Amino acid sequence: MRIFLSAILVILPDTLIAATALDGIWVLDGPGTESEILLTEEGERLRIAYDLLEDDPSLYCTPASVARIWANPGSRVEIEQDEEHILISYELFDLRREIPFIKSSIADFPSTKNLEGTEFAQMGSSVAWYEGDRLIIESTNHIHGYIRTSRGIPQGSNTHAREELEVDGDILHITHTYTDASLFEQPLILQYSFNRLENVEIERYNCTDADYDWFIELNLHKEDQT
Amino acid sequence: MKKPILFIFTIICLPILADAHHSTAANFTQEIISVKGVIESVRSVNPHSSILIKNTDDEGEITFWLIETTSRTTLNRQGVSLDVMEVGSEITATGRKGRREYTMYLQKISFEDGSEFFPQQDRD
Repeated sequence: MRIFLSAILVILPDTLIAATALDGIWVLDGPGTESEILLTEEGERLRIAYDLLEDDPSLYCTPASVARIWANPGSRVEIEQDEEHILISYELFDLRREIPFIKSSIADFPSTKNLEGTEFAQMGSSVAWYEGDRLIIESTNHIHGYIRTSRGIPQGSNTHAREELEVDGDILHITHTYTDASLFEQPLILQYSFNRLENVEIERYNCTDADYDWFIELNLHKEDQT
Repeated sequence: MKKPILFIFTIICLPILADAHHSTAANFTQEIISVKGVIESVRSVNPHSSILIKNTDDEGEITFWLIETTSRTTLNRQGVSLDVMEVGSEITATGRKGRREYTMYLQKISFEDGSEFFPQQDRD
């Protein structure tokens, strides 16, 4: 029996073992790191124009970017793979990202929908492949969004995103590399780690828009008095 | 040829703060304030649950405050329920003053009987 199992392990391709290691449910492990951000004139213009209290897509249950959706404290992420696809289920906003394993071409339709079927081009159109143990995901065809919502670091239609996923025991390391000559003078690199969770599930999020108008109206009488 | 303007925004490879939903770190200041009021309504939702309270000052002027906290999902996983917040009861809410006027990110609620409620904070 031991000989038989050893034979199977020898026969199994490395990518299959890597794929198995990646499958499961993960949760962000604290803050990551980011490289120096060198914005072009256009990138800086967009950053200055960003109003955190109005323009953050998260206020409207909309993903701001792939990196932003990965890096949400406490939100679970599930990875499942078959021979043709990788499915990443983000608990945040009930997002489902289905990515084909086709290195040769990137589809022109968004890879991400929520459970209601709404597509989100902020997450781009993606393809995936393995390089040894690392899963590579490349995305293009983004629409305007924000890689960092707290500071308005933008992405746009020329933005190219590369994700590298590698598992080390029960830790998942992800490196995001954003390139866009119209917005960045050099690639923007973000790195995060995730912990594997056992015996849990992705829960339904049922996001509610952060509508402040009703609240602001409650205190309008104070302005009327002044 | 015009040389492009470079904007150096952060120092290389510094630890960064993960944004929580609509970023708690950015939407709320570090200033800690306390407000006394009567609970008007409670919303347990994602991504941010909240408690609306009505504060009446010594001159009878009314101000509504929105006390925001973490997501319903996170509260549930902490075993915390906002059901203990009864509409009509008087509380004192303590937390980080919001950048929006009359908002706060909850750190603690003190009830009239002296008991206290502490939700865990988003890690941002």
